[in-house]
Amino acid sequence: MTTATQNLDQEELMRLLVLVARSDRQAFQALYGRISARMFGLCLKLAGQQELAEEALQDAFIQIWHHAGEYHSDRGSPLSWMLTIARYRTLDLMRSRKARGNGSDDSVDHLEDLRSGPLDESLREAGAQQLTGCLDELSDVQRDSILLSYYRGFTHDELALALSSPVGTVKSWIRRGLLALKRCLER
Amino acid sequence: MKKTPERIESLSAEYVLGSLIGRARRRFQRWMMESARVRQEVWYWEQKLGQLSEQVPECSPPASVWRSIENRLWPTVALASRSRNGRFWPAWGVLASAAALVMAIVLLQVPEPEPTSRLSGAIVQEDAGGLLWLVNETASDHQLRLRPVSATSAEGGRDYELWVVPDSGDPLSLGVVPVGDVYQVALSDRARETLGRSRTLAVSLEPRGGSPTGLPTGPILHVVTLYEQ
Repeated sequence: MTTATQNLDQEELMRLLVLVARSDRQAFQALYGRISARMFGLCLKLAGQQELAEEALQDAFIQIWHHAGEYHSDRGSPLSWMLTIARYRTLDLMRSRKARGNGSDDSVDHLEDLRSGPLDESLREAGAQQLTGCLDELSDVQRDSILLSYYRGFTHDELALALSSPVGTVKSWIRRGLLALKRCLER
Repeated sequence: MKKTPERIESLSAEYVLGSLIGRARRRFQRWMMESARVRQEVWYWEQKLGQLSEQVPECSPPASVWRSIENRLWPTVALASRSRNGRFWPAWGVLASAAALVMAIVLLQVPEPEPTSRLSGAIVQEDAGGLLWLVNETASDHQLRLRPVSATSAEGGRDYELWVVPDSGDPLSLGVVPVGDVYQVALSDRARETLGRSRTLAVSLEPRGGSPTGLPTGPILHVVTLYEQ
């Protein structure tokens, strides 16, 4: 997708968001039509299961309906803001299910995925292209820890299990990796 | 815990990444409420890490998700539009909602029904309450008739085009609908069979002469579910 098309899309999303803030239901449905597939892809990737992803998608759109007026450009592009809402909601649902003790199967599913490597190659490459190549400057374990947390919602404990390393080590990979990323992005 | 710049920096990043969990996450959310500086840092990361979200492959959610959203936000409207959403495919849903006019489905008593009529319905403009066209199908020769009631010409030199909306797949054009006259169109076997199953018609706004592509290109102005008489 070209930058020009992306800008047009963002303008259109902004226009719809403004209308949604005024309780325009048709604009809301149009917004759903525009971004739901993208948002659902993210929820599904993160949750690793259909039903939870669907619930997160519903919740995210209900939040967008109620909070569209709180969007402002400091929060990123309209799309980025809305995807963030969906991502947080998915993480919340994943964690609250685990806390209730019925999410153990999910983590097993996630871990089984790791047999073919901890991350899809496609996502690793996509991640590297973004963030202006800064992910490439991180060590492999730093980058994989960050991407696994981001795309799969892994907690420190799950990462430690997945990467066969102590929790303290994993925490430090993430912390140092994120700081290195920021330094690079600010250059 | 004191909000030092270093802590703000690293906790914000971990909050956005999602690796900050449980009590630490809740405590940090409180920091966000208390401090604009913390919020700024969170927004920074949301923008930066958000670029990763944009790379995830798209996946269309099932239609039931939108129905649930409607149902939660507007329980009564959702009930009325259930049949419409149930057999409408996503791309059209988008176009239809972008239209200024509201779709409506009504059960209609045609004033003087022809004895051979099978399917009938009305195309209405819900917000203005206007009845635009009456629709009915004749069984004997498989014609579909649109009788204009208060339909007015399309703006900007454009035309209305009538479509059979299938349960799945692409719509079939039934041609451009002239305003002011009764429009009668013969249904092909395929159109008749498709309409018999889906019972759904739509009207889109197209360039003069109709869609150049054979598929709707303009906004969907109306969708109507027909009923058997």
